Amino acid sequence: MQDKYIDLETLKQEMLTCTMCGFCKQVCPVFLDVGWDTGSPRGRMTMAYGLITGEFEPDETFRERIFQCTQCTDCYRRCPSSAKCPDVVLAARRELVRRGFINPAQTKLVENVCNTGNIFADLDVEFPEQNGEIPLFIGCQHLSRPNNTKKTIKLLQALKIYPKIIREVCCGFPLAIMGFEKEHQEQKSRLESIFPMNGDPMITFCPSCLMHLKKEYGQPVQHVLQIINNKLDDAPLDMIGKTVTYHDPCDLSRGAGVIDEPREILRKIGCDLREMTHVKKESRCCGGGGGILTWDESLSDRMGMARIAEAVNTGAEMIVTSCPTCEQTLKKSARNYAEKNSTKPLPVRHILDLVIKAIK
Amino acid sequence: MEIIQKRADQDVINTIASIVGQDRVRTSKADLYVYGFDAGMHRNCPDAVVRPSSPEEIAQIVRLANRKNFAVIPRGAGTALCGHVTPIAGGVVLDMQGLNNILEISSGDLLCIVQPGVVCDHLNAALKPYRFFIPGPASSEAATLGGMVATNASGAKALKYGATRDYVIGMQVVMPTGEIVRFGTKTLKNSSGYQMEKLMIGMEGTLGIITEITLKLAPLPEKTAACTASFQKLLQAGQTVADIIAKPIFPAQLELMSEMCIRAVNKATGLNLPEADGMLLIACDGHPEAVNDEIRSIRQLCDKNGAFHMQYTEDPTQIEALWRGRKQMIPSLSALKPEFSTVMLADDMAVPISKVPEAVTGFIEIQNRYDIYIPPYGHAGDGNLHTKVLLDPENPDHWRQAEKAVQEIYDLVLKLGGTVTGEHGVAISKASYFKQERADAIPFMRAIKRTLDPNNILNPYKIFDWEDSFLTHLRYPVEL
Ligand SMILES: Cc1cc2nc3c(=O)[nH]c(=O)nc-3n(C[C@H](O)[C@H](O)[C@H](O)COP(=O)(O)OP(=O)(O)OC[C@H]3O[C@@H](n4cnc5c(N)ncnc54)[C@H](O)[C@@H]3O)c2cc1C
Ligand code: SF4
Ligand code: SF4
Repeated sequence: MQDKYIDLETLKQEMLTCTMCGFCKQVCPVFLDVGWDTGSPRGRMTMAYGLITGEFEPDETFRERIFQCTQCTDCYRRCPSSAKCPDVVLAARRELVRRGFINPAQTKLVENVCNTGNIFADLDVEFPEQNGEIPLFIGCQHLSRPNNTKKTIKLLQALKIYPKIIREVCCGFPLAIMGFEKEHQEQKSRLESIFPMNGDPMITFCPSCLMHLKKEYGQPVQHVLQIINNKLDDAPLDMIGKTVTYHDPCDLSRGAGVIDEPREILRKIGCDLREMTHVKKESRCCGGGGGILTWDESLSDRMGMARIAEAVNTGAEMIVTSCPTCEQTLKKSARNYAEKNSTKPLPVRHILDLVIKAIK
Repeated sequence: MEIIQKRADQDVINTIASIVGQDRVRTSKADLYVYGFDAGMHRNCPDAVVRPSSPEEIAQIVRLANRKNFAVIPRGAGTALCGHVTPIAGGVVLDMQGLNNILEISSGDLLCIVQPGVVCDHLNAALKPYRFFIPGPASSEAATLGGMVATNASGAKALKYGATRDYVIGMQVVMPTGEIVRFGTKTLKNSSGYQMEKLMIGMEGTLGIITEITLKLAPLPEKTAACTASFQKLLQAGQTVADIIAKPIFPAQLELMSEMCIRAVNKATGLNLPEADGMLLIACDGHPEAVNDEIRSIRQLCDKNGAFHMQYTEDPTQIEALWRGRKQMIPSLSALKPEFSTVMLADDMAVPISKVPEAVTGFIEIQNRYDIYIPPYGHAGDGNLHTKVLLDPENPDHWRQAEKAVQEIYDLVLKLGGTVTGEHGVAISKASYFKQERADAIPFMRAIKRTLDPNNILNPYKIFDWEDSFLTHLRYPVEL
């Protein structure tokens, strides 16, 4: 069994659908950084097909390119043939993990999730358990900032949104995205045993949890911004009065199609929005996607700095986003960008923090 | 066909690394595998991939190649469709994508100077504020200027705006024997001797490595308007095309969709294009009054030739909507047979403009004799036709059928006075048909190649030097 690339075989038609046109090259943040064709979506598709035809044996470069993909899905958006390169990459990761190609940072993260139910291995994580009208899945990233999360829940209540909060464990997204399928399935079972996935509508703070709950658990999930936006019309607000630019998280814009809501919210709280070159469905990864922080931190940082450079070019006073991972990655890159260019770091804010500030 | 290998051994690769730096040389299995392809059907691995950073480095590598007898294959974005950059005898691929600076934009002199790795759309984005552009191929978002020059690429606007060759006025080239030379000028006119820069156009990486290109600019049109016209008979559409050209009106785009393409688009997208034997999509651009005049005359001609349905607009979003059908055509055609794949065969022949309907009807008749799909469409305004061959690439029988069908298609094209390639070039896939077309010219082309590249270093076994059919070195696991 181990010799055959079973996961990849099931996606063979995707690889044959790829006409090798190369249109995905100029949107792939990895190719744009590394420059070599092995780093392009087309290169990844080619190598994957080579594996199943037996004409290509995986080597270190293949592993590097497969784990460098940020799963931003921009290649899929651009592909004229709708070939699912991001899925092929994930299948290749599963094959590699099954064959034991794992790095220590990945092992640590997997152990954290499997042993503690939390990506940070935080055994003391606080759950602000409460009864309410709509189940809220908080997600590991937001749980790791308890004060902030409490404030956000207060904000929801102020807007007459009453979340039901119970204990949760990681949804398994990081395991799936790194190719640890066995552990992912086990994690799914653990979550399902404590958190009802019964098809009732629910909300979440995290774009990646959102997409994972939709795809893997078939849940009708909304991002909180989608509900907050409607409620702001009647809320008493202080105007923030800042010029900002907005970074669309890949999972929220290309994934869930939540594009207008954050922009409307920014307008409602008195922000003047200056758009970057790559926005909305065409947004560029911040460098935090696809688990590349566990694989290639330096690549992640270069991507982040490219994104900060775009933001700086808009002349905005700050960059706002709506994903905790994007926020962290961009903060780090803003500091590195500032150091490199001898300037002050561009402030990075989560949109929810701005809304909290704006609510009277 | 015997292929004499021109491989680069480890000593050679070490020497190249000392020229360009170790981090610009790749020899991993993954790199060699990926750089064995372009967007065509063929594959063969090189021995190394190198990203040079200057003409001087390239010249040193080429001189080494002459001493050590290994092949050098210049490569842009690798979007060529005929095995152009497949290193058929091994050797070293020079990945030119890193040489991607726009060196000068001089709107007053009506020119720009670029390195060969600049992507066509990137150049056009930089030219836009000056209100100029360079017409590009349909692959302009990926293709590099170096690749465009080396294949004489052209796109849907070729009738009015010409091909890449019409924009090249000068270049810097590393010759196959290692000299760095300048051809052409920075002037729009030049009668000073042989037009060597033109010789480099369409040479497919076999006569030199282009390291800098000077291009003439075209003005961005002030206004664009578009119309569509549907006809009960393909011949009526063909007659309309001939009448428009003879008027003379040169629309920016003049596209023909056959009944099969219309059906495919409707099926795949639900766009509900009127069912017709032939449909024309026409765009005119330029000064607003001239555009209005042209569109008025075109509509009269469509009417005269019996168009039963017409649409007209100058609103950019509606133009976009009108062209949506055309843009959706390629994926829609692939969706005709989802279990089949598109392979790049017989993909860009050209016939005299008046012969377009005859060619399209002929292609459909040929297709009907085989189990594979060959839906035709094209830039009717310049006689350039495309087909998409759909087959199961792992089924040997399909390939054999494709070989026969493609031969029939090219026999028809040549009978109609056409050429086997209007856009994409020859390389491997079209070599045998090209020889059928250009038998008398080949000795002279070969003489040029042998003189400039006596050791046959640059991109060997391409164009006239490919002696086989297209059915070897395929990238699919298929025994033939
Ligand atoms: C979806 C799709 C649509 C296309 N549409 C069109 C179209 O409308 N019209 C058209 O004409 N073509 C079209 N093509 C074909 C292709 O995109 C063009 O030929 C393009 O110009 C190739 O550019 P490239 O940078 O990818 O070159 P490559 O594919 O890398 O190379 C092409 C050739 O140029 C040579 N070359 C590249 N750089 C240099 C250099 N610096 N010096 C010397 N030789 C060099 C190579 O050796 C090779 O022979 C299409 C391709 C695809 C995949
Ligand atoms: S998902 Fe993003 S990073 Fe991955 S191959 Fe596609 S474009 Fe590149
Ligand atoms: S994945 Fe899509 S966009 Fe990329 S080369 Fe293949 S067909 Fe083209």
